[in-house]
Amino acid sequence: MRTIDYTKEPLLKVENLKQHFKVNRNFTVKAVDGVSFSIWPGETYGLVGESGSGKSTVGRSVIRLYDPTDGKIFFDGNDISGKMSKNTINDLRVRMQMIFQDPMASLNPRKTVGDIIGEGLDIHKSYKSRDERTAKIKAILKKVGLAEEHISRYPHQFSGGQRQRVGIARALIMNPKLVIADECISALDVSIQAQVVNLMKDIQEETGTAYLFIAHDLSMVKYISDRIGVLHLGHLVEMGTKDEIFENPIHPYTKSLLSAIPTPNPIAEKTRAAIPYDYATSGLNYSKGSYHLIDGTHYVKCTDEELESFRKKY
Amino acid sequence: MEKILEINNLDITFKTTAGEVHAIRGIDIDLEKGETVAIVGESGSGKSVTMRAVMGILAKNARVNSGTVKFHYKHEDGSAAEVDILTKDKKWIRKHINGKRIAMVFQDPMTSLDPTMPIGKQIMEGMIKHFNMSKDEAWERALRLLNEVGISNAENRMKNYPHQLSGGQRQRVVIAIALSCDPDLLICDEPTTALDVNIQAKILELIKKVQKERGISVIYITHDLGVVAKVADYVDVMYAGKIVEKGNVNEIFYEPTHPYTWGLLSAMPDLETDDDRLYTIPGSPPNLLYEPEGDAFAPRNSYAMKIDKLKEPPMFEISKTHSAATWLLDPRAPKFEMPVEIKNRIERMKLASGGAEK
Repeated sequence: MRTIDYTKEPLLKVENLKQHFKVNRNFTVKAVDGVSFSIWPGETYGLVGESGSGKSTVGRSVIRLYDPTDGKIFFDGNDISGKMSKNTINDLRVRMQMIFQDPMASLNPRKTVGDIIGEGLDIHKSYKSRDERTAKIKAILKKVGLAEEHISRYPHQFSGGQRQRVGIARALIMNPKLVIADECISALDVSIQAQVVNLMKDIQEETGTAYLFIAHDLSMVKYISDRIGVLHLGHLVEMGTKDEIFENPIHPYTKSLLSAIPTPNPIAEKTRAAIPYDYATSGLNYSKGSYHLIDGTHYVKCTDEELESFRKKY
Repeated sequence: MEKILEINNLDITFKTTAGEVHAIRGIDIDLEKGETVAIVGESGSGKSVTMRAVMGILAKNARVNSGTVKFHYKHEDGSAAEVDILTKDKKWIRKHINGKRIAMVFQDPMTSLDPTMPIGKQIMEGMIKHFNMSKDEAWERALRLLNEVGISNAENRMKNYPHQLSGGQRQRVVIAIALSCDPDLLICDEPTTALDVNIQAKILELIKKVQKERGISVIYITHDLGVVAKVADYVDVMYAGKIVEKGNVNEIFYEPTHPYTWGLLSAMPDLETDDDRLYTIPGSPPNLLYEPEGDAFAPRNSYAMKIDKLKEPPMFEISKTHSAATWLLDPRAPKFEMPVEIKNRIERMKLASGGAEK
C-alpha cells in the first residue's frame, strides 16, 4: 500500500489563486476566486464541483495554460505563478503533465501514436539515439496496457478506452511528479472507466506520481482520491480527507451534492430525495467567508454565523 | 394491463463503406401502459438504434431485416388502433406518431433546440401542426407547460432563446416540447448525461412526476445504473445488439445473473466501495462489422465455457419476469459463483435499503 508523508513539504502549493477573465469593460468573470490547497507527493487530490464552478480553470492555471490574476503557485519549491525563468519553465513542462477529457480531440489525428507519445521526448531531447527513443515509447505503451506494435498506428484506429490510454502514456513518458487529470474518464463507457481508473491507480503505486483528479462523478472521485476539495462558484467551500467529506459534510452545498448522487440500489433510491441548494436564496456570501477548522484536516469556508447555522440545521 | 408497445425479433443492419454492420440482432421488448423500462448498455450496443426504429427515424443506410414494432394507441374519437411502425412510411409516421403519440427527449439540449427560434415558439410548433390549434391557445398551453416543468417566470421566458437558459433549464424546455402534444410514450435518450448530478436529480424527479400525473409510459436509454435504479420498473441489459438480461429492477440489481451485468454493476463504484481494485470487464465491445461467432460476450467473459465460442446462448428463464442469455444457466453447466466484489456489493445494498427485500 502506498503511504503519503504529510510532514514533508507539499509538491504543489496553491495560495489564494484568483483567475479572472475580462469579458468587457464592465464585466469580469471571476472563474476562480481565492482558492488554496496543497498536494503532497504520491497523493491523489480530487476536485469536484458542478460545471462552471471553475474546476477545470484551477487545473489549467496550475499548469500555467493561463496567467493567474492573483495568488501564488509553488511547485516542487519553485514559484511558478509569475514570470518564470527558462529553467523553471522547462522543469515545469517536464514534471507536470495533463490528461484531457476527450481523447479524440486531444490527440493529433495526423500523427502516429509513437510520435504523439514521443513528442515530449523530442522537445526536451531526453534520448541519445533513435533506438533509445523507440525503446522508451514501447516500454510506456506496455505499461498502459497497449501492445508494442501499436506504435505505428493512428489515433482513429483505436477504441475510446485505448485512446485514453495513449493520452495517459503521453503524460507519463516524461516521468511527471504531478499529473492533472481533467475529467479524463467522463467521456468513456462505464466498463472502460473502471479499466482506466485501475490503470491510473497501478501507475501511481509503481511510480509514485501525484494526481490532481478533476471530475464531477463523485463516486469515482471518492474511490480514487485521498483528499477532496469541493469547488462552487470559484470558491473552495469545503475540503478534507475523503472520509471527512463523505461522512461528515458540513457545507450545505456539499450536502446537496452528496445527496444527489444516484446509487445503483433501487429500493433505497426510490424513496430518496435530493437536498435542494441554491446559492442565491441561501443567504450565504462566499467571498466573506474564511476557513474554519472542523477537525483533523477538514475545513469549511464560511463566516462564524454561517457555521453556527450549518451546525444547527444538522 | 394494457400493452402499449411490443417489439418482436427486431433485426437491423447498416450498410457502410466498410461492409454491413449488424447492429441489432433480434430484440424483444414489451412495454405496458404507465410503466418505465430502462435499456442499459455501452455505446455501440444498439440501444439508441432500437429506439430510433420505434420512432421511425432510422438513418437512410439502415435496413430492417425482420421483426415488428407494434404500437397501440387511440384515435381522436377514442377507438383503439394498432400499427406496425416498420411498415409505415416516414410521412405517415410524422403525421400520426412522432411528437403526437411518441415523443423523444434527446441527450444534449443544446443540439436538440433550434438556436434561432424563441423557446415559446418551439413549444407551440408541435401543437399548431398536430392539433390545428390557434396561436393564442397554443401560447396559453405552452405557458402552462413551462410552469409544469418548473421554469419560473414563464411569461418572460417564452421569448428567450436557448442560449439564454442554463443547461438544466434547456432540458426542461425539451421535456416541455415532448409533453406538448400529450404523448402516450416518452422516450428519453440519455436525458441527463450532459447535466450535473444535482440538476440530473431534479430532471429525473420531474420526468417521474409528469409520468405519474399523466399516466404515460417511459423508456429510458442510459448507461448510468444509478439513474436506472432511481426510475425504472423493468430493465433490459443490451450487449452487441442483443438483450443479454432482462428483469424487473430488483432482480437486475439484487440477483444479477449475466457476467456482463456483474461487470456493469461493479464498474461503477458506490460510495461504500473500498476495494483496492474495481472489478472490470477486460477488453472492449466487439466490432459488429464482423459477425461474432458464438456468444458475442465470450472474449471478455472470464466465465466463458467452450460452448460460448461455438453457439449463441438462448434466453434462459429464471423467474416469470427475469431471464438471461448465458450458458451458465444451462442445467449441464458447472456450478458458478459470482465474483466476491459483486457479492459484497449486493450484501451492502440490501443492508443499506434496510433489508426491505423479503
